[in-house]
Amino acid sequence: MKIEGTHELQARRERVFQALTDPEVLKRCIPGCEQLEKTGENSYAATLRAGVGSIKGTFKGNVRLEEIRQPEHYRMIVDGKGQPGFLKGTGAIDLEEQGDATIIRYAGDVQVGGTIASVGQRMIQGAAKMMASQFFTAIEAEAKTEANDPPPKHGFFRTALRWFSGWVRRRFRKKSGA
Amino acid sequence: MSKFVGQRVKRTEDPRLIKGLGHYVDDIRLPDTLHVAFLRSMYAHARITNIDVSEAMNTPGVVAVYTGRDLGEKIGPVPCAAALPDLKVPDHRPLASDKVYFVGHPIAAVVATDRYAARDAVDLIMVDYEELAVVVDPEEAAKGGAVVHEKFGDNVAYKLTAGEGDIDAALASADKVIKQRILNQRLAPIAMEPRGVLARYLPGEEELTVWSSTQIPHLLRTQLALMIGIPENKLRVITPEVGGGFGSKLNVYGEEALLGWISMQLGKPVKWIETRRENMASTIHGRGQVGYIEVGCRNDGTITGLRYNVFADLGAYHQLLTPAIPTLTGLMLSGCYKIPAIQINVTGVFTNKMATDAYRGAGRPEATYVVERAADLVAAELGLDPVEVRRRNFPKPDEFPFKTATGLFYDSGNYEAALDKALQNADYARLREEQKRARDEGRIIGIGVSTYVEICALGPSQAMPAGGWESATVRIEPTGKVTILTGASPHGQGQETSFAQIAADELGVDIGDVTVIHGDTSIVQYGIGTFGSRATAVGGTAVYIAIERLKEKANKIAAHLLQADISKVVWDENGFNLEPEPAKVAAGAGVPEADLPAGQAPGASLPEPQIEGKKSLSLQDIALAAHLAKDLPPDMEPGLSATYFFEPKNFTFPFGTHIAIVEIDRETGEIKFQRYVAVDDCGKVINPMLVDGQVQGGIVQAIGQALYEEVVYDEQGQLVTGTLMDYAVPKAAMLPWFELDRTETPTDVNPMGVKGVGEAGTIGATPAIVNAVVDALSPYGIRHIDMPIKPENVWKIVNQQS
Repeated sequence: MKIEGTHELQARRERVFQALTDPEVLKRCIPGCEQLEKTGENSYAATLRAGVGSIKGTFKGNVRLEEIRQPEHYRMIVDGKGQPGFLKGTGAIDLEEQGDATIIRYAGDVQVGGTIASVGQRMIQGAAKMMASQFFTAIEAEAKTEANDPPPKHGFFRTALRWFSGWVRRRFRKKSGA
Repeated sequence: MSKFVGQRVKRTEDPRLIKGLGHYVDDIRLPDTLHVAFLRSMYAHARITNIDVSEAMNTPGVVAVYTGRDLGEKIGPVPCAAALPDLKVPDHRPLASDKVYFVGHPIAAVVATDRYAARDAVDLIMVDYEELAVVVDPEEAAKGGAVVHEKFGDNVAYKLTAGEGDIDAALASADKVIKQRILNQRLAPIAMEPRGVLARYLPGEEELTVWSSTQIPHLLRTQLALMIGIPENKLRVITPEVGGGFGSKLNVYGEEALLGWISMQLGKPVKWIETRRENMASTIHGRGQVGYIEVGCRNDGTITGLRYNVFADLGAYHQLLTPAIPTLTGLMLSGCYKIPAIQINVTGVFTNKMATDAYRGAGRPEATYVVERAADLVAAELGLDPVEVRRRNFPKPDEFPFKTATGLFYDSGNYEAALDKALQNADYARLREEQKRARDEGRIIGIGVSTYVEICALGPSQAMPAGGWESATVRIEPTGKVTILTGASPHGQGQETSFAQIAADELGVDIGDVTVIHGDTSIVQYGIGTFGSRATAVGGTAVYIAIERLKEKANKIAAHLLQADISKVVWDENGFNLEPEPAKVAAGAGVPEADLPAGQAPGASLPEPQIEGKKSLSLQDIALAAHLAKDLPPDMEPGLSATYFFEPKNFTFPFGTHIAIVEIDRETGEIKFQRYVAVDDCGKVINPMLVDGQVQGGIVQAIGQALYEEVVYDEQGQLVTGTLMDYAVPKAAMLPWFELDRTETPTDVNPMGVKGVGEAGTIGATPAIVNAVVDALSPYGIRHIDMPIKPENVWKIVNQQS
């Protein structure tokens, strides 16, 4: 199934790209991420608690980054398995500079199997979009900090608040632009 | 005498079921029962490279974990009873060992002290898979590419050609030949009660009892005995209440054998109750045919030939009858028409999906759909009324028994009578006028007609894989109560009522004095089971003839006791009378016979029959005399019971006409029923209410196939419709009122003249609905549309979007 979306981050592209490829940052930002270890050049082993609706569980898998063209593009290959099923996918992430902001476009093809396929398939795209929102909101917070600052705190409420303020800002801008 | 037969007698089963007092498998609780949960494959096709059960084994409450490798060949293969020439039969064990072939394929069984522990432990089993190429589409599977079973080299399990007449010549000489691709999509039977098994092995007695939600207790016993390797006379199968089967429990499943085997290993009762998700993935599916029809006709609408080239989507394994279902399609391809040349070419193919097998209608709805769509295609091509095309091709009532080009002899029929009655009930001519007016107003209305014939009362043993007869024992107990043991295994159809109706009339007792026992192989003589609309036509006939036999004996006893010649004994509702035309008061004259009220005090001794001087004896007198055996005719066996095994000489062929009237919502593409009219002819009717219920339920499932239901696997063989949120079963609010009526053309295949009705609805209704939608869409140039007809597809047509 195709998953795609666009996010606008109020942070500079270099910082966003750095955040997106830093395992420590990713571990903090990926919703439900319990573990993320570097296993080789641009490849990581991850443990993730995730689910769709009532179908939840722990997934273990590998993430590999390819086609890295700093700071504008990379391709991600994901392969994970858990009690509720498995997921496999590849996706391209493109970062576009827009003044001080960065537009992120992601497009991928994801295959799921097992219970998540037979129970949750029609909800997966929605769930994936929600997770992507959470993730990029967290990345934005990370990328806004300076290199030596302590990392921002995440968590459900902080992320929700940041997402909400971003949403208000975008709405406001649309209206004033119109 | 017909006090009960033909009456709308309320189901005697219902009070206990409605009050929740019935006992299904899961309601049977035995002390120390262990619970089983299955790990099932999440891949459609993969090699199992490793299974690690250690963490699961260490979970509190877990008693044992079995994998396919533990089992090896300890349990015999899951049987397939279909004998087709050169059929490829994969080795099908209860648990996968090296490879998994479909999503839901059982891999391991966890046994634990409660079902929660068992399920939790299933999640802790680690399986390493190596994914293999998947094939999902039956036509792709037939072409080559990915192969399901490596050792066979390709996916074609069998090829079969059947039919008579020179089809090539018929099509070549036809005025018109119409071709159409036709889809009978995969369906899930969705019995309200999923499968369930409870097995208890008693090591001392060396006896295994298996409670299973099945339609075929005796056949299951035989097969399980062979699979597990236990003597058949040490194995007892009990089917308590069964919450629906629709063919899905006309089977022998690996889980049933495995539970029995595990109980023998552990010496404790073990239980498994299927979850709905397991039911969607691992209980057989139905239909699954993609076919191409070529129908030849003359310009006057006479159908001269029909060819059906079909790919049957068998799934990964053969269940009990998997490859045989398309052969039933072939048999019924003549529909209720005189078609001189018919040919079916079946290609049965393996796919990485759950097996298909019998689902209500089992091959016949597919045939009826093909023929009835063909009839409408002919009408559309020639610009004729679909009713006229049907009329033109009917055999006349005096042409029966009617031989089809598929090799069947239809027993009896009057197709025009049922059609006329349905047209009259629907007021067809006015409907067509209304349709014209509605079209002028911009409304989209369609009228669909289907005239069907089905093959029921399966069937003569010659044509069946494991016996086509049915058995009955009728006993008059010493107190005069009547016990019927039927080898048929009714599971919702209501034969506890209808068989009691037969017995009550034939024996002159009240229906409340008759008990029908079924579904326990230790109590009931061997039987075949309930499927193929056979329980009443074959099993009911066995009851009927057993009663006749019993009455012969009762007559002899009566003659002996009344000291009269047997020819002088006349039977009527009051019992056995010495003279013809006896006074009506004979039995009711307050003679204190062996009339035991229901509330008889415990321990009361049986009264002596008082015979002397009487001119009339009740059934109770005879029963008591037969059991006390103090004064019986010389050489007569004591007791009053009779057993009969009825072997029908032919199938029966019920028929009818269904008419659907639909309106399409232009804005949404939604299809709404305006009316639904059906006239069914199932021969003689024993209980009109039961027949109505069967027809109604069948139509509902037909509406499901026509408009809503579809088992969907994605390209990777993942089951997408894995819950009832995703698989659309019609709900009450989606249904029209069914205007039901009947004609009655008896059969001479059995003495009661009954034909069977269990599957009529799914067979007759599906094409009527599709024909109605196509008729509605005909102004848009539509001649065919595939099922399920989703609103989005209709909307695209109506709004001219491709």
